[in-house]
Amino acid sequence: MDGEGQRATVAWETGTLAPVDRLRTERADSPTPGLVEGTEPGAGGKSAMFVHAQSFEDLTAEAEEEALRGAELDKSEEDCTEELKALEEQHNNDFSSDGRAKEEDVSSEAWRSHRKHVFVLSEAGKPIYTRYGTEEALSSTMGVMMALVSFVEAEKNIIRSIHADGCKVVFLTKSPLVLVGVSRTCQSDRELLRELQYIYYQIVSLLTLTQLNHIFQHKQNYDLRRLLAGSEYLTDNLLRRLDRDPGLLLSAVTCLPLASSARDVVSSSLQAAKAKSLVFSILLAGDRLVTLVRKKDQVLHHMDLHLVFNLVGSSSSFREGEGWTPICLPKFNTAGFFHAHISYLEPASELCLILVSTDREDFFNMSDCKRRFLERLSKRSAYQTLKDALKCPSYSVAQVGIPELRHFLYKSKSSGLYTSPEFPVVYESDEEQERLMGLYQDLHSCLHHPTRPLRSFYRCSETENLLAWVTSGFELYLCFSPLATKALAVSAVNKLLKWIRKEEDRLFILSPLTY
Amino acid sequence: MSSRKTSLTDKQTKNGTSKYVLERCASINEYYDIAFKVMLLGDSAVGKTCVLVRFKDGAFLGGNFIATVGIDFRNKVVDVDNLKVKLQIWDTAGQERFRSVTHAYYRDAQALLLLYDITSKPSFDNIRAWLTEIHEYAQKDVVIMLLGNKADMAAERVVKTEEGEKLAKEYGVPFMETSAKTGVNVELAFHAIARELKHRATQQPNDPKFQIHDYIESQKQKSGCCSLV
Repeated sequence: MDGEGQRATVAWETGTLAPVDRLRTERADSPTPGLVEGTEPGAGGKSAMFVHAQSFEDLTAEAEEEALRGAELDKSEEDCTEELKALEEQHNNDFSSDGRAKEEDVSSEAWRSHRKHVFVLSEAGKPIYTRYGTEEALSSTMGVMMALVSFVEAEKNIIRSIHADGCKVVFLTKSPLVLVGVSRTCQSDRELLRELQYIYYQIVSLLTLTQLNHIFQHKQNYDLRRLLAGSEYLTDNLLRRLDRDPGLLLSAVTCLPLASSARDVVSSSLQAAKAKSLVFSILLAGDRLVTLVRKKDQVLHHMDLHLVFNLVGSSSSFREGEGWTPICLPKFNTAGFFHAHISYLEPASELCLILVSTDREDFFNMSDCKRRFLERLSKRSAYQTLKDALKCPSYSVAQVGIPELRHFLYKSKSSGLYTSPEFPVVYESDEEQERLMGLYQDLHSCLHHPTRPLRSFYRCSETENLLAWVTSGFELYLCFSPLATKALAVSAVNKLLKWIRKEEDRLFILSPLTY
Repeated sequence: MSSRKTSLTDKQTKNGTSKYVLERCASINEYYDIAFKVMLLGDSAVGKTCVLVRFKDGAFLGGNFIATVGIDFRNKVVDVDNLKVKLQIWDTAGQERFRSVTHAYYRDAQALLLLYDITSKPSFDNIRAWLTEIHEYAQKDVVIMLLGNKADMAAERVVKTEEGEKLAKEYGVPFMETSAKTGVNVELAFHAIARELKHRATQQPNDPKFQIHDYIESQKQKSGCCSLV
């Protein structure tokens, strides 16, 4: 992270910079930051595609409620260093185990110095997942973690976090699972908790909560790894995405830039290829959404969508043939499985079609829907336009024409979609990209602080200047070169909003369809 | 003959004729005369997907193990006595959590390739459990073939060829050892299945029964260490 000392921060508690009183009801060409939700650039038509507004809070609220139910307990350093020491000693006593690819000596310094550890265990203290090393080697460590949870619980309290030795240990109890994050990053507890929630839902998406509860009710010390076998890479990948993908941070997804006329043809072809039990049809280009058609009255939560993205993006097993797999979309319903037909439109294509059905025996129906969609699409010139659009799935920030602007994230709250240019040369390396993401995460947690949320935030550092801005309609994060000034940054907001408005029908899905 | 269901054309299935009229059916890319569903079963990581990819594309998926998610459906058309036989192949995930999905598709399958890994005793021991499941969920007259995969890994072998043969004999199913890496017997396994299914579907009452065991034995000897065409 950048030097804490050199950072100059200015925050405006009230939106004095934005002409809040000039709310517009129509889609203005020069949108002002004071726009109301639903009229900001990128806002969808009549109906939003996802659950929108406060989606971030939506994600963390549950955990906070749970935490508040018990008396507030933020274990401070004195209390817990002892326990943490015990935990670390435990590491030393562990013996390393047999040969797996994930193999890493859990007593080594290298293992300990990982930036972020994630552990999942059952309430009986049985290891279920570790990001680094093997679960077997960590069984006593996880036992200690469970002991900490139970110890605090015995006093009718809930352990939330331990801060010690530059480390944050965050606990999330989601019966029958316990998730623990150990981080050396400067992310807030809340951000870490949000990441643990994602991991929790990832596991639920594989098994359903009903099945999870059922298993542990019958056998408390069940080894859940048996059922999760072969899915570890999904969790590994999700954790990587959490470090890198702005969509997971913003609770939004991004679209493939595509002329709206072409997108409309693709959407309507998909809409026409419907079936009785089909609930969602999703067309992806890599990590970008091309279009999404849904059953009337059914909305897909961005988190469920990210779990689908993660499933598709993590496995090359869908590359050929047609995949058919049960998937629980936990924000939709934690109790049951959907069944997803997953296939690429052409063998070497980036375009992946996901058809989500309610019926387990619907494979051939879904296969037929895909065939009909492809038939219809291949007759239209829009298919070629779509293929051409795949060649430039992003855009350069230079197109916006704002000097010193290096990168930005813009989220339209009402559509749950965001747009962002490709990373400029300065942020080409993985480390630099992750560092920039870290900065955005930091700004994000300031804007969404549970008790003192900020509306805007300007920060200067040696390497870049950042401006974050949230209104009821959008969230905006701008990254400038260190030569930029605050005045320039503020004037850039209007200019950028104007540019996004001009490009919105290419960058966003403005008219989502239903069957 | 029998009123066994095969997926010839929709028309036939609907009017339920017992006589098979072979029609040229056009799929998107390929013509075929007759189609059958084949399913690959067995524990996780025994090489089901690799065997399929070897058969379908003649390639070996080296490198990291990629677990199949749910089930994966692919087609391949093979020639049997100048007849185009389309094999619709279900490649299944070996993991326990996908069992319920695979069960749902057992009964559609006309043939099952049951695999174990000759370097993994547990995968061999589980074959009996798989066979029990098959008897519970699959069609009664389903064609079953037992394959001991990874035959190229002689040094790590823990299941003897004779053990596989003995088990196969006990259940009366044909058996061979295969290697997705070298290709040994992979083509043969699928071709034997295709031949048997084709024979069943087109058999006249007086025709002699196709002897899949004999066919395999004769071909196995001929093929030696390299695969058939």
